[in-house]
Amino acid sequence: MQPQFEQAESDAILALGTEPIPAGPYYQPQYFEWERDAIFRRRWLQVAHVCELPEPGAFIVRELEFANVSILITRNKEGSIRAFHNVCTHRGTQLVADACGKRSTFTCRYHGWTFSNSGELRSAPDMQRFYVKPHDCNLPNVAVEVCAGLIFVNLDPSPQCSLKEYLGALADQLETLPIAKATTFSEYVYEIDANWKLAYDNFQENYHLRFIHPRSGGGGAVGPDNPFGYPIRYHFYGEHRTQTIWTNPNPIMSSTQKLAFGKLIETLKQRGLLHSEHARDYYALFPNFFLLGTPTQHFSHTVMPINAQKSRGVIRLYWVGDDMNASERFGREFSMAMARDVHSEDRAVIEAGQKGLNSGALTHIHFQSQEVLCRHLFHSVDRAVQAYKAENALIGKAS
Amino acid sequence: MTEMNLLPVGFEALNPFVEFWAVDTAVKRAQCRQISDQKSRAQFYDAAKNLMPDALALLDTKSLHALNDSELRLMKLALSFAHVALAVELQREEESKHAKDRVHMKITQAPADL
Repeated sequence: MQPQFEQAESDAILALGTEPIPAGPYYQPQYFEWERDAIFRRRWLQVAHVCELPEPGAFIVRELEFANVSILITRNKEGSIRAFHNVCTHRGTQLVADACGKRSTFTCRYHGWTFSNSGELRSAPDMQRFYVKPHDCNLPNVAVEVCAGLIFVNLDPSPQCSLKEYLGALADQLETLPIAKATTFSEYVYEIDANWKLAYDNFQENYHLRFIHPRSGGGGAVGPDNPFGYPIRYHFYGEHRTQTIWTNPNPIMSSTQKLAFGKLIETLKQRGLLHSEHARDYYALFPNFFLLGTPTQHFSHTVMPINAQKSRGVIRLYWVGDDMNASERFGREFSMAMARDVHSEDRAVIEAGQKGLNSGALTHIHFQSQEVLCRHLFHSVDRAVQAYKAENALIGKAS
Repeated sequence: MTEMNLLPVGFEALNPFVEFWAVDTAVKRAQCRQISDQKSRAQFYDAAKNLMPDALALLDTKSLHALNDSELRLMKLALSFAHVALAVELQREEESKHAKDRVHMKITQAPADL
């Protein structure tokens, strides 16, 4: 009898090294400052989805607390998506207080400066008394691009590459997934006293499944041949990475799981969304974004840093089309509630890990071969940080 | 309105659960699960489990926008059942401990609420 599972061990995995990983980057404020400047202010960050801007005039605001930045994202009358720093160019007042809405102009409450949703200063009371031209007072642009319906921003005024170049081969794969057509989503959010990498790592290794999710996660992800639920394949794409999740051919499912997912499968079939060659692929886009290809639980998870030891997670299950009937509504509600049950179980143990690291008791931590995605994240982060430090050292020498 | 016509014909057994479990939003449904005790969850689950396939089949005969009041109540009960089934079938005796972790995962949007 053939084994149902064969572990993914390859030269590519071993080539990432076996050395212990320094613990400091997982709690030290200095390292976090380097990460912020080297990575989070320079890489493409997923912050929204086009379904939040369904028509011209729609807008959303996103707070990036790690950078003290508020971003206004709009869809203008031409249908283009634009992003700006959410600051009035008069004296810096935060322009838009609402989290979302529909408006073609934005007026600062302080002195009435009014901007279009394409960022132009339209009017300013008593403008003739200023010593600057209106066209020099447009809202400051933030780079924004879209892939697979996902809206990414880049805080670098001159991004080093386009989003498509940044995502490389993964861009085309993402475009094949339901998220590219999504029109709505379920969402839950959490705050966690943990470094963003520590929180993120939890969700890119399966070693913990049998200990932390013995009830909620055991049905499809683990089995007698694969008691730890290890993936069948890993791939590395520069700073990004994927795993292909193993599927237990004989999953243990509760009666309501069967009912709910059975209903979802029926409607996904009708929508032509059930089958995808990437349905079992779990994407980890650098630095802080996940997406699971599975259409019945097609969730994204962004772990946004707040400071060195605090982060916020945003989890969304994306859906294509409004609920077509009661069964689809039931299936979507159950799918969201079940994913929430699983994610609920992770938070406390991640915070416990952070407390241990904060003590400074450990100089290093250890990743086994099946935690290679965590090792790859650290390598990617540290490479960017060291390059940034070297760049600054050169600038320091030159000045 | 009497208790007799709270729900469509055939689902009268669920009438006693309407007041607590037939609520409007995913946040409220999660809250009902959160604040209920094991006995009340078990009573709702036991009464609803075998009726759920028929309830969905009945509700599927109409557009969601065309559901009448009693059908809407049944829809809301089905959505709360999605939450309570996780407590009864998956979390079981760990539900009260799980509830303390789950409260940190704050639901902000669900398609059923839009």
